[in-house]
Amino acid sequence: MSEITKPEKASTRTASHMPKDSVFFEKIVPALLILMSALTAALVLLAVGVLLGIVRF
Amino acid sequence: MSFNQILPFISTVVMFIFAVYVFQRYAVRRAPHYLFWGIGLTLFGIGSFAEAYLALAWNIWVFFAWYLCGAILTAAWIGQGTLYLLFRKKWVHVVTAVLILGSLGAAYLLLQALPTLDESVFTTSRPISEQYSTKVLEAGQIASAGALTATQTYQGKEVTVVRGIVPLGSPVRLSTVVFNIYGTLTLVGGALYSAFLFWRKRVLPNRVVGNVLIAAGALSVASASTLTRLGYGQFLFAGELVAAVLMFAGFIVAGRLAPQEEPAAQQVMSAATD
Repeated sequence: MSEITKPEKASTRTASHMPKDSVFFEKIVPALLILMSALTAALVLLAVGVLLGIVRF
Repeated sequence: MSFNQILPFISTVVMFIFAVYVFQRYAVRRAPHYLFWGIGLTLFGIGSFAEAYLALAWNIWVFFAWYLCGAILTAAWIGQGTLYLLFRKKWVHVVTAVLILGSLGAAYLLLQALPTLDESVFTTSRPISEQYSTKVLEAGQIASAGALTATQTYQGKEVTVVRGIVPLGSPVRLSTVVFNIYGTLTLVGGALYSAFLFWRKRVLPNRVVGNVLIAAGALSVASASTLTRLGYGQFLFAGELVAAVLMFAGFIVAGRLAPQEEPAAQQVMSAATD
């Protein structure tokens, strides 16, 4: 009797994948995402502070 | 012409080429996010050109174009495109309607402000971003060399101000903050979120890199705009050029998909936002 195998999802079959053990994708990219998220949050908070009159320019 | 006077012309050229590229994509695919990105990039280009013009001469309508297109609307309209990309839902149309009404409102407020502008302050020796706003000098603060100061009554108090083109308390100044908060959240937040989605699935690395570049570009101009509001307008030109180059590069990198990869890309986005 042949083994019933689950069909692969289209996304894993047809999409290119990140290289394994890549320092860039494993370390640098997540660090950049975190850094830029923090900077975005800081800019938005600063702007909200200006809007509410808490921060004066 | 100085280097600072040339930079915004370069940004203008890059932005208009980018806008044409995006509109061409819209003509083929008819996806709304391309349309809104194209509109936002066109606004960016108009703002850059106006800024470049104002480095050489004054014109009140060019100032209007710079303030409305560059300072107020650009980030929000580009960000709206990202919203359409991430959320294929009907409520996005409602947000678009609010954006359109808000944009018309901002244009109206700016038109109302035009007769109150202090054109005598204008000089081509400084970027428009360094001289557009009137600022209150807080106690202990010293005005920078060459700045024009005056004493005026503001909110019932006598204050010393550094004179700028747009008077203190002009309602249109608040609109830049509102629109830029929205634009930063949708454009930068959207690009970072997209990058994260593809990174988490470990697929389509070009989409990860492309969105990181787009986010970095958008943050560049957002940071430069914030520094401008803090009184350091000399970075705006460079911030805009960096934004133009990074966002264009990111768009090209993110868009490079083999035909068989398109459904996979759609699947990652849909699974995350449904």
